[in-house]
Amino acid sequence: MGISDVIPVPVAIDEEIEKWTIFGQPVAEVWFTTTEKIHQIIEMGPIKNIFNWGRKNSVYFLMQPMGCCGVEMFVFGAAPYDSDRFGCIPRNTPRQTDVMIISGYLTRKYLPVFKNLWEQMPEPKWCIAIGECAISGGPFYDSYNIVQNTGDHFPIDVFIPGCPPRPEQFLEGLINLQEKIKQRKDRRDY
Amino acid sequence: MTNASEVLSSIQSAFPGAVLDSRVESDSRLWATIDSKKILDVCKYMTAKLNFDHYSGSAGVDWIARKEMEVVEIMASHGAHQVVAMLKVKTPRDNPSVKSMTGLYWNAGWYEREIWEMLGINFEGHPELYPLLLSDPLVGAWPWRKDYKGYPDLTTGERAVAITTSEGYTEYTFPPTPAEIEAGTVVTEHPKYPTFREREEREIKSDSEMIMHLGPQHAMVPGPFLLDILVEGERVKKAFLDVGYIHKGIEKIMENRTWLQGITYTDRMCYVASLSNNECYCGAVEKILGLEVPERAQYIRVILEELSRIQSHLIGTGEFLTLIAGVGFAPWQYMIMDREKVISLIESVTGARLTHTFVRFGGVRNDLPEGFADQCRKVLPYMKSRTEEFIELFAQDPIYHARMENIGSISAETAKRMGCAGRVLRAAGVAYDMRREDPILVYPELDFDIVTGTRGDSADRIDCTLREILQSIRIIEQCLDKIPSGPIRTEVKIPKKIPAGEAYYRVEDPRGEMGMYVISDGGDKPYRVKVRGPFYATFQTLTPLLEGVYIADAVAIAGSMDGCPSESDR
Repeated sequence: MGISDVIPVPVAIDEEIEKWTIFGQPVAEVWFTTTEKIHQIIEMGPIKNIFNWGRKNSVYFLMQPMGCCGVEMFVFGAAPYDSDRFGCIPRNTPRQTDVMIISGYLTRKYLPVFKNLWEQMPEPKWCIAIGECAISGGPFYDSYNIVQNTGDHFPIDVFIPGCPPRPEQFLEGLINLQEKIKQRKDRRDY
Repeated sequence: MTNASEVLSSIQSAFPGAVLDSRVESDSRLWATIDSKKILDVCKYMTAKLNFDHYSGSAGVDWIARKEMEVVEIMASHGAHQVVAMLKVKTPRDNPSVKSMTGLYWNAGWYEREIWEMLGINFEGHPELYPLLLSDPLVGAWPWRKDYKGYPDLTTGERAVAITTSEGYTEYTFPPTPAEIEAGTVVTEHPKYPTFREREEREIKSDSEMIMHLGPQHAMVPGPFLLDILVEGERVKKAFLDVGYIHKGIEKIMENRTWLQGITYTDRMCYVASLSNNECYCGAVEKILGLEVPERAQYIRVILEELSRIQSHLIGTGEFLTLIAGVGFAPWQYMIMDREKVISLIESVTGARLTHTFVRFGGVRNDLPEGFADQCRKVLPYMKSRTEEFIELFAQDPIYHARMENIGSISAETAKRMGCAGRVLRAAGVAYDMRREDPILVYPELDFDIVTGTRGDSADRIDCTLREILQSIRIIEQCLDKIPSGPIRTEVKIPKKIPAGEAYYRVEDPRGEMGMYVISDGGDKPYRVKVRGPFYATFQTLTPLLEGVYIADAVAIAGSMDGCPSESDR
């Protein structure tokens, strides 16, 4: 579909426009096309970087305290460490969040619930594993009730070791995640 | 004043032949093995005649070498005397079964359910013997038995198989590995019982009733638990509680670690009160060893435990105030900021923010750093003025009063009968505090008040908590004045293998009475560690308290108990 099909313009102009390109594609194919086409353009072009710049600066996390790290997560989200400075605000429902923080031991009983929470989060979404328990089972590695490899269940971008890690480490992990989002190197490839 | 030997002779004269074996450890500890046929009568007699009105929990022990199992009933009194009676009931290991205490004591329900699901001991006459902490596929494996071999269990992600249920939910199951099948730990015979969902759905009587889920994910409670309420209109008709979402099996893990390694696990049981958990475990082991703690170490322990109490109360109150939205998001931020000051004081001594592992057998790990007392004297007056400000703030706020006063009231009699602990009990007007009741360390030398309330409602609980902070500050100030110089650890060398013995030790956790029952069989690892958690005791009373209240008040009641599900799940 050329531009002259829509607006009555001289054929010469239409031919001229057909020579133009944007990101290596003919402009005529881009203009007046479907949303899929537009998404394609976004995928390949630097516009994606602008999107990810916005995403990285508003990573809201799910308040989901599960263990010792959960208590540090309270402090991380509250006034003394103020995660708000980095656009990282605690939210109470998964439907408003971008980042899930696995903040402690994941038990067999809790795993189905936790997967539901993850599925309720809208795209784009990322996952951070905090503390030894979430990474490998930690001190409870041989418990009958602990799920050891959370990485097999969730696409984890950043692992923050510690038992529990300090809130400063939370901040560093968050900055690492933002860097990953910016460079488009995150696990889910947004 | 009653003491343990008088209690023993009284039981022996009332029930000749019922006491099979007995040991009077001290004036306040009685160990007795009771004939399993007469245990109910003995308990009834003790409650009626000897003032043992506090059923403090029970523990199951698997004595695999003797081919028998033991249920230990822990009986105490709400202030009438200070004797703790540990009554043991034996049962053969093949088909273990004892009589249920639920007919006598309301709060026996959860303790017995836990013993049943973990050890497989049947309780005759228990009205609802359903699993409490474990998920349904694990029930029948009896993980706390000594011959449980599914340990370590390799629960990897590849094993989880997704199943779509008929209602459209996705659920995950773990099929057994070949190694597990070979070891014979696959559960083949599951006991039959209605699941949690079936139990709550059969309570729905009409079309106007429905079930609302609160949880398991809560934003402001440090751990998940599921609270389902059956509502009709705005009223709660019945509440159902499902716990165990962060059950880690600490008691079982501690049996497989050395004595010293066990301290690290007590840290992670209740991470906002790790110092009193450390104290409880170390105190029990010191009791078995017969160790004397040097005086300086005792003072250091008291100072740190009280600091820990302050920070625990601050975070607990702050969390709760955010729950009753509109009243308290600002206090939450202020309390967390103040808590950081206390945390940095603790950190300057122990080196960690939450998990300290600071208390050791016969002393503490290290001495107070230089300038600690000066730093404390700077922070404490500030904390005092802030706490007074909070108390005044809440006393004046009309919205807070409307939401909190006469909500979730519990009378002194009911609180005692249901075995509540800590602030819930004290807000109802019962001055029951382990620091006075079962004095440890240097608490008898210190001057402090036990804070009690009058109405026993949510507002009283928060008020009591804040006033307890003032008492803790008082204790620390006295300790800083009185602390002597000297060694911080006993000179006795702690053996790797602790001699055979058993001890029950109680401390006052920020959430109430905490007890640990430690058994040693002479090895380098504990034979059994049973934790009697304070919040576990209080948590049970949540469901009856919620009956008949408005939905919005359910949060105000559940939050005011200062829950730590991690400690109740262990």
